[in-house]
Amino acid sequence: MGRIQLLGNGISRKTGTSRRCARMGKLVGSAVVVLLGLGLLQRLLMPKYASDVVEGALIAEYYSEEKDHDVIFIGDCEVYENFSPAVLWQDYGINSYIRGSAQQLIWQSYYLLEDTLRYEKPDTVIFNVLSMQYNEPQREAYNRMTLEGMRWSSSKAASIAVSMTEEEHFLEYVFPLLRYHSRWSELGAEDVRYMFRTPKVSHNGYYMRVDVKPAENVPEGRILADYSFGDNAWEYLEKMAALCRENDIRLILVKAPSLYPHWYDQWEEQIEDYAARNDLLYINYLELVEETGLDFSTDTYDGGLHLNLSGAEKITKHLGGVLRQEAGLADRRDEEHLALVWEEKLAAYEQEKERQYEEQGN
Amino acid sequence: MKKILAVTMAAALLLLAGCGDSEKVISGDVVNVSTGGQQETTGETESVQPPEQQAQTAAKGYVFMTGGITVEMDGDMNPILAALGEPVSYFEAASCAFEGLDKTYTYNGFEIDTYPAQDKDLISAVILKDDSVTTAEGICIGDSLEKVQGAYGEGEQENGMVVYEKDGMKLCFILQEDSIVSIEYRSTAL
Repeated sequence: MGRIQLLGNGISRKTGTSRRCARMGKLVGSAVVVLLGLGLLQRLLMPKYASDVVEGALIAEYYSEEKDHDVIFIGDCEVYENFSPAVLWQDYGINSYIRGSAQQLIWQSYYLLEDTLRYEKPDTVIFNVLSMQYNEPQREAYNRMTLEGMRWSSSKAASIAVSMTEEEHFLEYVFPLLRYHSRWSELGAEDVRYMFRTPKVSHNGYYMRVDVKPAENVPEGRILADYSFGDNAWEYLEKMAALCRENDIRLILVKAPSLYPHWYDQWEEQIEDYAARNDLLYINYLELVEETGLDFSTDTYDGGLHLNLSGAEKITKHLGGVLRQEAGLADRRDEEHLALVWEEKLAAYEQEKERQYEEQGN
Repeated sequence: MKKILAVTMAAALLLLAGCGDSEKVISGDVVNVSTGGQQETTGETESVQPPEQQAQTAAKGYVFMTGGITVEMDGDMNPILAALGEPVSYFEAASCAFEGLDKTYTYNGFEIDTYPAQDKDLISAVILKDDSVTTAEGICIGDSLEKVQGAYGEGEQENGMVVYEKDGMKLCFILQEDSIVSIEYRSTAL
């Protein structure tokens, strides 16, 4: 009797365990289904930056590249619209990449550099100094175009923390679905097509434009109450210089030849002083218009804000000479693998050039 | 399982329920910035107040007045442009990555800047360039800080500038040695 009872209890325990296991399995299964569903929904709702506002796709494109660059550019639109890595390779055999994004603030540039150093250590980093004018977070939409493309790392988390405007929340960067859920009413075919893979929009970070709009009536700069760059901006420039020193990287400061927004003489003086004090090379292309052969009636596509392809190729040729002479960067065109990689890249570059000229009716 | 699915569906519905009323929404790839709730002016203009007073009561914040035309921050540029006529100089700049153009209209003595929103060009700033124009309260470039404070009150002093904030806009007087060198009406919507 006692044995039967014992057996009975055993069965009952076993049945209870099985039920618990089955219940746990259902719970785990449900959780997986829910998470998968939310993940898919997030992918669907996030902007794809494929054919419109393609600048939002620039930061993420870097991760699919082979990481063996001699030069990394960081900065705002003045780097990704004004310098062409294809020319640096074609004319000088210098392998470069632009980690630029729209209104990239200096602390974002710093953390992008930190992020880049997780993958590779370039010989030279080129930073465009226009963003020194900003001392505080500016606009969420620009923040997102820089930050969302970054892979998760302590650098990304730190960059989000210092970039957020008052209305933004860290959690919305961790779960972008929380921010983009209201896009459901405007989803298009592109959101489905590019849900898992977006097309390439740049040439090593360079955003190509061949159209022409001459620079005319560019307004003079407004009078400012204070021309000093802010403490925050200086702090991050200092951190960037220190990070380069620690990693034995040559930091070069540039000011692209964009005519607008206005680059004040007082700003120029501050950068020149900083470069001299820190033994950094600083090139202001606004002062080299004649030397580079830039012509603002033909070399800009938006009235002097950004250069078009012919303008970008002109100043990149000049920059290549500087990099060869001042930074002593070697010609790598005889490296078989790299040459093959660039052969493909240059073909895509030429194809895009041709397509755009055709569209322009040239 | 059914309960979990029901809860998930409810959560998804809540999540997808629009944020239509949020002031600043990333709508697609373009940022729409709220203009900060422009006041309706219909009816008020029919009062018997003199034109300048009408403008002050109907418009939000400090306004710039020229030739009987009232220029208000975040107001539509179209009717202003029609009233002011062809500018001396015009410049437009596409903002990096976003659709639409920031525009600068330069007239004798002042400049009007606009930003694109709600399919319109809304006024982001008016900058007085010389002493041929004054604020509606009679202050012009070259006036002293004392005169400004007499007209507007103490104001907030920040980095060589006296600022008066009102109804989502700022009126800024930039000073050099106690003398006004620039006057700017600025929207705070951007």
